[in-house]
Parts: sequence; structure tokens; C-alpha cells
Amino acid sequence: MKDILGSLNRRTLLRAGAALGGGVIAGMPLSRAIWAAQGKVLKVRADGDVYTLDPGFYVGFGDIDVTNCIYSKLIKYKPGSEWGWELEAAEKIEQVDPTHIRFHLRKGITFTGGHGEMTARDVKFSFERVIKHNSPIKPDWGPLDHVDIEDDYTGVVVFKTPFVPVWNVALPFGVGHIVSEDAVMKATGNGSSFGLKPPAFSGPYVLAELKAKQYTVLTRNPEWSGPKPGFDEIRIIPINDDKTAERAYKAGDVDFTRISLDSFATVKSNPPAETEIEEHSSLRYYWIGMNIDHPKLKDINVRKAIQWAINVPQILDAAYAGQAEVATGTVPPSIVGHRESALIPPEGDLAKAKEFLDKAAVSDLNLTIDCLNESTYSTIAQTVQAQLSQIGITVEINVQDSGSFWTLGVESEGDRWKEMQLSVMYFNGLPDPHYATSWWVQDQVGVWNWERFRSDHFDELSAKGVTISDPGERAKVYHEMQDLMEESGAFRFLTYGGNPVMHRTTRMKAATLPDGRPLFLDFKPV
Amino acid sequence: MVIVSSRLGPNDAAEAGPFGAFLRQFRKNRVGVVGAVLVILIVASAIFAPFVVTHDPTRIMVGPRLAPPSLDFILGTDQLGRDTFSRAIMGSRIPLLAASVSLSSALAVGLVLGLIAGFGPRWLDNLLLLVFDTIRSFPSIIFALAMIALLGPSLASVILVIATTSMPIYARVVRTQTEAQRSSEYIAAERSMGAGTTRILAVHILPNVLGPLMILVSMDVPAVIAVEAGLSFLGMGVRPPTPDWGAILNDGYNYIDRTPWLVIAGGIPIVLATLGFTFLGEALRDIFDPKLRKDL
Repeated sequence: MKDILGSLNRRTLLRAGAALGGGVIAGMPLSRAIWAAQGKVLKVRADGDVYTLDPGFYVGFGDIDVTNCIYSKLIKYKPGSEWGWELEAAEKIEQVDPTHIRFHLRKGITFTGGHGEMTARDVKFSFERVIKHNSPIKPDWGPLDHVDIEDDYTGVVVFKTPFVPVWNVALPFGVGHIVSEDAVMKATGNGSSFGLKPPAFSGPYVLAELKAKQYTVLTRNPEWSGPKPGFDEIRIIPINDDKTAERAYKAGDVDFTRISLDSFATVKSNPPAETEIEEHSSLRYYWIGMNIDHPKLKDINVRKAIQWAINVPQILDAAYAGQAEVATGTVPPSIVGHRESALIPPEGDLAKAKEFLDKAAVSDLNLTIDCLNESTYSTIAQTVQAQLSQIGITVEINVQDSGSFWTLGVESEGDRWKEMQLSVMYFNGLPDPHYATSWWVQDQVGVWNWERFRSDHFDELSAKGVTISDPGERAKVYHEMQDLMEESGAFRFLTYGGNPVMHRTTRMKAATLPDGRPLFLDFKPV
Repeated sequence: MVIVSSRLGPNDAAEAGPFGAFLRQFRKNRVGVVGAVLVILIVASAIFAPFVVTHDPTRIMVGPRLAPPSLDFILGTDQLGRDTFSRAIMGSRIPLLAASVSLSSALAVGLVLGLIAGFGPRWLDNLLLLVFDTIRSFPSIIFALAMIALLGPSLASVILVIATTSMPIYARVVRTQTEAQRSSEYIAAERSMGAGTTRILAVHILPNVLGPLMILVSMDVPAVIAVEAGLSFLGMGVRPPTPDWGAILNDGYNYIDRTPWLVIAGGIPIVLATLGFTFLGEALRDIFDPKLRKDL
């Protein structure tokens, strides 16, 4: 209320009154006239909280939804039904050879706060700091070596070995954002993560307000010289649970949201008024993870018993009303490296599971399963609990809120990883198999590799996979990597889910990626 | 100076004894009778739940998922095909268990500490008051969420949280009552006749503080039921798949558009239980609290 009163003055009151009156006189419905009078505000739901606004150290895709709007990248994803990119901060960019990419920056992009114009030095600083400061998401840059500066606006990104995913993973996404060297060095002293306090902005919007777990407000960047985005303000509301988000949409709190697969059919047959529903396949992958280093799960026979006892279609029936497809690994269909089938049949086999358990010679096994405090994950955990009880394994469910859950297996966050046993996991994906596998190299143990899976051969394949440009040859590498993951017994792949979204047609024309993820910058008001 | 005996007239006591007089007064309070009936029904359903349920409340059946009420499933099924009626009946055990264990623990600890504070040396009284006020100064729901974040969600955590936040209230009431009695003439007379502290506390003071405490406890039961259900609704109470009213409500909330009977099945028992205990508590207060007695 204080904010509303604070922003209300005579001018805004007169302006709003005039716009409202004009709108009503022009025959516009009253609700539309009120909306027009408020200014163009985009109210959208993000499916995750904002953990950091430092793109070189991003945690979740919720972070990227915001960083996309407040910083620039050399290139950005193009909205539409096919994966592709278009120029953003770069005027020109080309692959000189398999290990060199030359870029030429557009002139006149400035950082806010008097930190000057964006130059090739900022690009070099932004890309190299991810490796230099050992960012948890450094696999996104693969074998990046350094960035050469040719002049103020021109530079060359140099890789030690070819890095095929650079166009799909690195440049248009998180680590591709360009921050101000001057501002970051002044703020941090050494160029490390600046967390939730961006020292300067370089995108069409600036951060006006961020309240953790409540909302993020972005307003137009007055210093932005590029094409103006359609909305004056973007309000991003983090709602983890899809069903809660559906209710928020119906209540008018948000005008864009993902729909749960479970309620997709119902919403589609009876959509809310003035709503368009889009169906997208997802690049997200879900699995049951097992901590190999936990004493109760050290024996591979126990892990295999669990793999074989889990009946995936049953889980999908319960959690997704049978609307989701069974996963064969971490690489989804339509991406190079997708396996036709998993090594273990989706239905599992209880007799085989019992055989493995007998081999392990354990009885009265009590395990815990961690999951997010959301209906889908809780349903998955309860179904797994029931399934494992059939082979005599008792499972206790630990439901955790997102802040607690997403630090469970992270060694730098404490010792909770030692207690972790089973977990209902999901990661978001990008259109490259590297992004669906690189989290399980040995470097990532205790970072994002919570199963603590280790394989020298897997690491070799991971390094090799990014150098191959022939899709057929590349696919073989990623097939083998997923085989190794499954053979370790630490993974039971579940599904890729789905990504139906809905938006209010009276408010916007939405812009999404082929997997349904929103590109807020490209949303247009109507 | 026992409150109950002091309120009975000589004729009442002669006719039916203290219990008879209590029953006579209680029957006059219709709201109290409704509350007692509700409480008896809820407690009975909790005790005899295994004989009342029609299905295994934790058995997952994907086939009849989110089925509407029918002869097979009186209140339909949830998202995992579990019988909602059976879950609601079995679910009555958790809030009642939480209320009885947490409030009796809080009562026992509060009683002892309150007696010590009221009858002990001044410095100890001040110290205990500081502890009580410190605990009470935390907003209870924030305190509960913080404790559960530390201890992890479980029934034991819920009980501990409720017991910890309720204890200072009881202790303060006991302390005030004890202080009032301590300086009374009959205690001084007891003391002059050589009675020890333990005897004075056990024989004279305790019976006088128990009455108001019992009223307080009965009035707290509905609050505890609501807190327990609230924490389970937030996923911070009992762990799945344990049936619990708050958890049923949470499951139902996710499917409220399609299957409102889930919310009804979780919500109605909470309403009935809180109403029942509130009516009963108020009736007891009317009877035992001399200021509110209608026949005075």
C-alpha cells in the first residue's frame, strides 16, 4: 500500500484519469481501459525463485528469466517453434574455425551507473570469470580457454578444443550474458559472484525491486538504446507449484503460466476466458537419484534392486494422469543423443528386484527419499514409497521447500549431502545433449552431481562429445554416457514431463521457445 | 479451599454429589452438550478407526484416481486412488494425538515451573518469568516454522513446537494462582502447624490451580488441532503417506476445481473437531468459572 501511495501524485492521477476516460469514451471495455491506464505491465509466473542475478553463477532457469531482461548477450534465442538464435549485443558473429568465434559488438550499448560503454573487454571478463572463479555452471563453457581482444568492439572466443554446444548452450543462455568489468570489480574486488545485487545493467530493463519468494519487478532501462520492448514493467511472480500457478492465473494475478500436465486436459477442454493454450514438449528431465556414497546405497545390488522395483508408467499415471511419456535417459526426444529405450524396462520387474536385494544380503532396509514440497514430486515420492515396500524396503519421505531442497547435495552448503539417500530430481534442459549430461562428470560431484556418480570413461566421453559435429557420431557418445549412468544403478529415469502454457490474449502476445519457456523480452502487449 | 467443593451447596452435595451437580449443570448448557457429542464422536472414531475404515487408507490404486463419491468410496478417492473416507477417519488420530501429547506435556511442565516460580525465591521467579516471556514473544507460527526447519517435518516436531509454545501460558497461570494462595491465611496457618512446602503445594495449592488450568487446556485443544492441520497443510506436519486432515486438505486444494469432495473431506472434520472442543471448553468454563456461572 505504501508503494502505491508513494507512486501516486497529482500528475499520475490526472494521466490515469485521462487515459481511463479516453479509453471508456473510445468504446474500450472498462477492464481494458483500466489496464491501459495503468501502463503496460506484464504479469508473469516464473516456476522458480530467483537465487542469484549473477549470470555467470546462475542456479535455476528462474534466474535466467530475469537476467535475460537486464543484461545483453552476444546472441539470444529466437522465439518460435524451431530452435535458433539471433543477434543481440553482437553486430556480427562468426565461427572462424572449430575453436575460434569472432564477434563484433554493436556500438552504443551502455552500462547503467556510469560504467561506460560495453566493450570487448567486458565480454572477455564476463566469459573468463566463469572458469576463473570455478562457477558451479562452468560446464556451460566447456573447454573455453580465453577471449582475445582485437579492438574495443571486436574479440575472439578461443576454445582449447572444438565446442559444438557453444551456439545452443553458452552464448544465448546464462553464461553468455555480458556484465560490466568495471562495475563488478568495484563491487566484488576480485570479479567473483555478486549474487542478488547487480552492480550495473546492460539490458532493456533494470531491476526495480526483488522480494525473495514474492516478486521481481523490472522497469524500463532509461539508458537502453536498442529496440524498445513492449511492456513498461514486468512483474515476475515465482510460483513453484503448477497447480497453485493455475489458480493464480484464474484469479488474474498472472497472465502467463505453465500448466501442470495433470490438469492440462481439463484446462484445455474448459479454458479460462480469453486464454490461449499452447502445448510444448519439454527439455526437462526427471529421475530418481541415489547417493552412491551413502553406506546404505554403496552396494550396487541395492541400487539395482531399487531401479528394478520402480514401475515408471505407474508413477506417471499417478503424478501426471498418464499424460507424460516415459524417459529413456536425460536426453529428451528431438535432441541428438536421445536413446530409443532405457536399459531397464520402464515397468521394472519385482522378481528381479528381489534377486538383487538377495544378492546384497540386506534385510529391513529403511531409506529416505527427498522431494520438493509440490504436489507432483510428493505424488512421485509416495508412489515410489509404495513400490519399494513391495520388495521390503521401507521409505520415509522428506518433503522440503525449494530453498532447502536445492542445496541438499551441495557440499559447500554443509553436510546434508552425507545423509541424502534417494531423491526425486529434475533438471531443466537446453537443446544440446551436453547440457543433459555434463552435470555428472567427476568435477561436479557435490556440486550438481548429487548421486556422486564417478566414471573416468564418462568424463572422457563428455569431453569428446562436445567436439563432434556429426550428429550420428555425437549421438553414439551420448547414448553410451546415459548407459553408463544407468548401469551405475544411481539413476532411474522417469519422464521429460511436458510444458503446456497458457496466456491471456487480452493482455499479450506471448513469445516462447520450442520447449515452451517464455522469452519475456519478446512478449508484445495487445 | 478446593474450588469444586466450595461451589456446591449443601443440598446439591447431599442429593447427587459433586459429579451429579456438574452433570446437572452441564445438561442445561445445550451448546456444551452438542460439543460433548461431537467430541465423543471424534474421539470414538479415532479410537475405533481401524474398525470403521472401509479401505486401507494408504493403499495406492491408480485406477480409481480422483473418483467421485460412490458406494465403494463414500467420499471419493484422492490423486493416488486412496479412499478419502478411510483417510479422513484415520486422519482423526493425528490431531488428537498431537493435542493430547503436546498439551499434557505442556501442562505437566508448566505446572511444575509455575509452582516453582510462584512458591520459590524471587530471583528464580524473575528468571522463569523471563524464560516464559521470551518464548511467548515469538509469533507462534514463525516459531513453529523455524523449529520445523531445524528439526525436519514430523509429528514429533509438531508436538514439540506446540508443547513449547503452550507451556509458558500454563506456567504463568499456575504462578499467578500460586502467588495468590501463598500469602493467604490458611497457608500461613498450615505453615504454623509445621506443614512442609511439598505438603502445602500438593494438598492446598495444586487442587486450586488445576480447575482453571483444565478449562484453559480444553479451550486450547481446537487451537492445537488447527495448528497441526495448518502445518500439515503446508507440508510441515506428518510425513506422507500418513493420513491427516491437513494433508487431505492440501491434496484436495490441488484438485479443488475437479474434485471438491477432497477439500470437504479434509475440512469438515477440522470444523467439527474445533467446534466440538470449543463448545465443550466454553461449557466447562461456564460451570467452573464462578464469575461466569449463570446461577450465581
